[in-house]
Amino acid sequence: MLINPLTKNIGADDTALDLGAYRNNDGYRGWLRALRMSPEKLIDLVQKAGLRGRGGAGFNTGFKWSFVPGDRQAQPVRYLVCNADEMEPGTFKDRLLMERDPHLLLEGMMIAAHAIGATTAYIFIRGEYHRAAKVLENAIGEAEQAGLLTPETTGWEQPLRIYLHRSSGNYICGEETALLNALEGKRAIPRAKPPYPQVSGLWGRPTVVNNVETLCNLPHLVTQGADWYRQLGRGEDGGTKLFGVSGKVNKPGLWELPMGTPVREVIENHAGGLRDGLTLRGFLPGGGSTDFLGPQHLDLPLDYDAVGKAGSRLGTGTITVLDEATCPVGLVLNLSRFFARESCGWCTPCRDGLPWVVHILQRIENGEGTMEDLELLREHTIRMAPGNTFCALAPGAAEPIQSALKLFEQDFVDHIRGKACPFH
Amino acid sequence: MPTITVDGEDYEVEAGQNLLSICLSRGIDLPYFCWHPAMGSVGACRQCAVIEYEDDEDQQGRLVMSCMTEARDGARYSVDAQTAREFRGGIIENLMINHPHDCPVCEEGGECHLQDMTEMTGHTLRRYRGPKRTHRNQYLGPFINHEMNRCIACYRCTRFYRDYAGGTDLEALGRNNQIYFGRREDGRLLSGFSGNLVEVCPTGVFTDKTFSRHYVRKWDQQMAPSVCEHCGVGCNTAPAARQPGSPGDPWLRRVTNLYKRDINGYFLCDRGRFGYEYANSPARLTQVMERDNIELIGSSSGGGALSHRQIAPADGVEAFARHLEDHGTGKHLLLGVGSPRSSLENNFALRTLTGAEQFYAGVSAVDLQLLQLVNSIQCDERIRSATTPEVEQADAILILGEDIDNTAARIALAVRQAAQNQRRRQAEKLKIPDWQDAALRQLPAAPVPIVFAGCEIPALADCCSDHVIGTPDALVSFGEAVLEAIGASRGGTDQGDTLTDTGDSPLSRDYLQLARDTARALVDAERPLVISGCGAQHPGLLRTAGLIATALAEERDEPVNTYLSCPEVNSLGLLQILSSADQHLERAGSIMADARKRGIPVTLVVLENDLFRRLPQNQAQEILSSADTVIALDHLLNDTTRRAHLVFPTAATPEYQGTVINSSGRAQRHYCVYEGIGFIQESWRWLADAISASNLHSDTADLVRSWQHSDDVSAALAEALPVFAEIRRLMVSLRDNFNVARQSHRASGRTAISAERRVAEEPPPEDTDAPLSFTMEGVHDPAKTTLQAVIRAPGWTSNQSIHKYLQGLNGLRVERGAPTLLQRPQKPVPRWQSVELHACGNATNGSTTSGRLLAVPLHRLLGSGELSSSAEGIASAIEPPFAKLHPTDAAQRGIHHGEQLVLNLGETRRQLHARVDFEISPGVVGLPCGFPELADITVRLPVAVHIKPVTASDHTAGGDEP
Repeated sequence: MLINPLTKNIGADDTALDLGAYRNNDGYRGWLRALRMSPEKLIDLVQKAGLRGRGGAGFNTGFKWSFVPGDRQAQPVRYLVCNADEMEPGTFKDRLLMERDPHLLLEGMMIAAHAIGATTAYIFIRGEYHRAAKVLENAIGEAEQAGLLTPETTGWEQPLRIYLHRSSGNYICGEETALLNALEGKRAIPRAKPPYPQVSGLWGRPTVVNNVETLCNLPHLVTQGADWYRQLGRGEDGGTKLFGVSGKVNKPGLWELPMGTPVREVIENHAGGLRDGLTLRGFLPGGGSTDFLGPQHLDLPLDYDAVGKAGSRLGTGTITVLDEATCPVGLVLNLSRFFARESCGWCTPCRDGLPWVVHILQRIENGEGTMEDLELLREHTIRMAPGNTFCALAPGAAEPIQSALKLFEQDFVDHIRGKACPFH
Repeated sequence: MPTITVDGEDYEVEAGQNLLSICLSRGIDLPYFCWHPAMGSVGACRQCAVIEYEDDEDQQGRLVMSCMTEARDGARYSVDAQTAREFRGGIIENLMINHPHDCPVCEEGGECHLQDMTEMTGHTLRRYRGPKRTHRNQYLGPFINHEMNRCIACYRCTRFYRDYAGGTDLEALGRNNQIYFGRREDGRLLSGFSGNLVEVCPTGVFTDKTFSRHYVRKWDQQMAPSVCEHCGVGCNTAPAARQPGSPGDPWLRRVTNLYKRDINGYFLCDRGRFGYEYANSPARLTQVMERDNIELIGSSSGGGALSHRQIAPADGVEAFARHLEDHGTGKHLLLGVGSPRSSLENNFALRTLTGAEQFYAGVSAVDLQLLQLVNSIQCDERIRSATTPEVEQADAILILGEDIDNTAARIALAVRQAAQNQRRRQAEKLKIPDWQDAALRQLPAAPVPIVFAGCEIPALADCCSDHVIGTPDALVSFGEAVLEAIGASRGGTDQGDTLTDTGDSPLSRDYLQLARDTARALVDAERPLVISGCGAQHPGLLRTAGLIATALAEERDEPVNTYLSCPEVNSLGLLQILSSADQHLERAGSIMADARKRGIPVTLVVLENDLFRRLPQNQAQEILSSADTVIALDHLLNDTTRRAHLVFPTAATPEYQGTVINSSGRAQRHYCVYEGIGFIQESWRWLADAISASNLHSDTADLVRSWQHSDDVSAALAEALPVFAEIRRLMVSLRDNFNVARQSHRASGRTAISAERRVAEEPPPEDTDAPLSFTMEGVHDPAKTTLQAVIRAPGWTSNQSIHKYLQGLNGLRVERGAPTLLQRPQKPVPRWQSVELHACGNATNGSTTSGRLLAVPLHRLLGSGELSSSAEGIASAIEPPFAKLHPTDAAQRGIHHGEQLVLNLGETRRQLHARVDFEISPGVVGLPCGFPELADITVRLPVAVHIKPVTASDHTAGGDEP
């Protein structure tokens, strides 16, 4: 049984699979199969398989698609957008997929396009992903040349067009509505919802924005079926996922593992445990905008709901490990600096709150902090709580801060009392 | 009606409204920044957070932004809950971390929304200890100061400037807390609505640069309601004045918007906001003057300009009285020339003085016919005059020949809002409330059919679905094609395209198709609107617009909304005062010439009018020189006052009480904000003084003698002319038991201003016309009377306080009754459809045959207004005079963009800057209407002219050749 659908084509030789090789490995079978299915059936299949958005929010993909208006005659223009603006700190999973197996993504996009009736698709790719962009551009050319997108293949009235758009660089573009604004050439600020993109998205047309990894799940899901997909998971969620570990571990990297794999297994078995005999103090389970979890959570299965219940988010599934020799204040400061810089400037708690948070953390790190500063930091995390800001950027930025204040409070106090960073 | 509970109080609320506007209109103080009553909600600042409870059990509730929350029936909210108050305090604390503590030197201080909101949340202690971010400020032109360090990033400026007013040269730049609201490079803000930034900005980023030159705090200003005198729309304004503290200071300090739902709402155009400076101009007349009998040599304004000397006002009045007495003997001819930019009272006083037969409109025959056309179209039973909110609600608009961006700018701003109506309809389908501004603007929607037909592509083009650019005659043909298509649809045939192309139509097939589409859109619309006006100076266009509107009304079997723009503040009022349809300047001229021939001495009284802006120079000169005595009453030294034998300085609009009629036939009052300096007084008072000083005794002379108050004149007018019967409703009796304070409670320094000269306080003047005091004594509450123009409320010092005095959000101001309209008889079958129109220069085919082009007037917001052109700021922003022509026409004549060309019109010859541009129709050459150097030419337009490139021999003469 196929157990590594996302990475089965990715070998050790660090090259991208071309169309021929991809097809030899049963590539584009999902596409051809999907074409024989009605969009409704396809949506139903994906929904039943329980594929959840791999960009971080974990929303059921089929369910997301189902909000696109069904009447294609009334709204013939629809768009599919692939969110390849991978900028979450500590996250590098989409990059691997795009650089190594571009046709898997393209096939996934074609299937999604069929499901929602899109005849135009965009890949909005992070500006710094030069290699991935090149690989994808090449792959799009191959697919076009091979006639995979033509009406002869699809039986559609128009050919499917896939465009690659390279972002000019802004974390907020990962937020799907800010991404749509950026794609339209507008300021990258999140849009008001409703209307949701499925109803009024790119240029006001029905649009679905899906993450790279989400789309890469589709080809095999279609060929192997929902039951196979669900079985891949070890816990509640179906399928596999790319999990990564960064930090002071022996073998930082990325592995395709079943959903529900315990954290400990990822860190100890796959990443080889902490190096130099260091012990683990905590970890960010899914990127820079998730809450810290502690050593007591090492046996947590990496499922969306399980991690949520533990007080954090699965996010992108790329774990950042904090060890005993690394200053948690410094880590949080580093992250906050990133988020403050990347704030789009639209709403107050984020735009003016984050630079202030950075200022406070810097003072604490410099040994100039006061106990009142801790209270102020907590206030800021409340101001940036979900619903209090316009989009999810600031709540995400607040997550490592609020959890660090709980888990590593003593470190903050030591900085303040000792008037210096104890790690230096 | 849904009922909601806020902090234990039940409120009945309008369905579908957001909680913030509900709270504000119920008097609940809730701080906000990014929301604006006219611009809706975007949820950016997060300042207006309140608690929403799930149900009766819910004790915790959750924080929601009230501006983004639709009030649900039966829901429970709390503004007062501690969590909400703490959050709002936190937001203001965030906003203030970079805000400079420069309130004492900031011009927003004392009327600053940020100050008000900071106080309201109770934020006092600064906890942020880091450095503040700083910005470089930009030069934004003569009107607006830029101080970006004060910015709290509420985005209102760009939302107004770009989204609401269609500007493109101000934007949000950069990101995070470095976000910058400015232009890509220094330079004048090009939108004609830039001045609204001053009022839209909740703090002191954008402030009024003209005001900076003579700044005073809001609490030190004396204010009274006024009406903008710079076009026919009649926007309500609140001019602010203060006694000069130092010699260079003027009384009049600035103009701000005064909310009036049906006309200007919250916004003014830049001509209206910055035009006030004419009253402080060096050319302002303040003394009575008499001619010296020495002709000025080398006067730039041609022959006949005289030097003057000041005389005592009493002597001037005596001299005036002698002329009236001569007239009384019957051996003299006394003629009066009225003014469309002066009040009904002033015009009526002159008419009373001269007798109705000898009172002439101060406009040319063509201009008078245009006004008569507007008037009679509006009197047609099938026609309604749209209010500004009605313009905003229109769902199909035809603009025929009127460049409203430049002639009635506030109406163009309303048309811009109408362009969003398809989106609003779309939003309704998606159950998105229309105040969700950002959501609304991202919706796709078919364009609202807004079709513009004119000689030049308008600034409105971006929100028009289509435009027709052509010669005036081509535009008439287009209008006729629309008319025909409306008729065809009435004939029962469903398809407009059953019309036959005869082949000899002056219109292309595309334009014919567009005409049919336009007709169809107007017929199918729920709220169609036809806009036209006097701006093209082309009666045929105006009449065609009227015919379209009436045909549409027939088709729809209900009256149709129109907006017919009149050029000046009281154009329509002046028209009603005339005794016959041909009391125009040309006729006055021929009567005078005739009298002269018969040896009858002529005295000509010119009321607030510069004839050189009404007639070609030679005709104006002829009229003035055929009078033995010219008595001029006006605000400014101009070509007419320069030639007058007696000159009386008259009160400008903010300096006196008067009634004016706007383009929609609505009568409005402006009140005296401050008394003019020197010997300035109202024209009607000079006229009454002259009568009083004379030995004349007749019923009319006695009537005039009896006039003590402005309302006496208004009453006499209402008595004499039934059309004005309703203006009695505007009269506020002096005997009423109240006085309204022009100054605020906090007005300071009254005794100190002249303390270096005298210690004793000067007694304040008394207003003999209106129950308004020139002091801080009297009624202050704007809820008690609309005479109160100082809008403020406890805790609300800024202009945002207006919501405390409106009946519901964007409603009428409290205490304001029904509009006062002219009582014009409505006619079922108007005469206007068949009157013979004044011929307009016809050179549509001329460009190929005779080499001539049709010169047409191009209006410009800054430059085409008579008085505003003398305002210091506006004068500095007026473009140099130009001639704009199509590249094809330019190429045929060897004219290049940017070079000088020579324009020949009869004996007049002018060198102008060539502007070669695809934006203008072939076959015409556009000249900026009413520009100081060109006024005498543009009055004659449209007319055929010769143009050619400048040759070496032309270089000697820059202007006219004799």
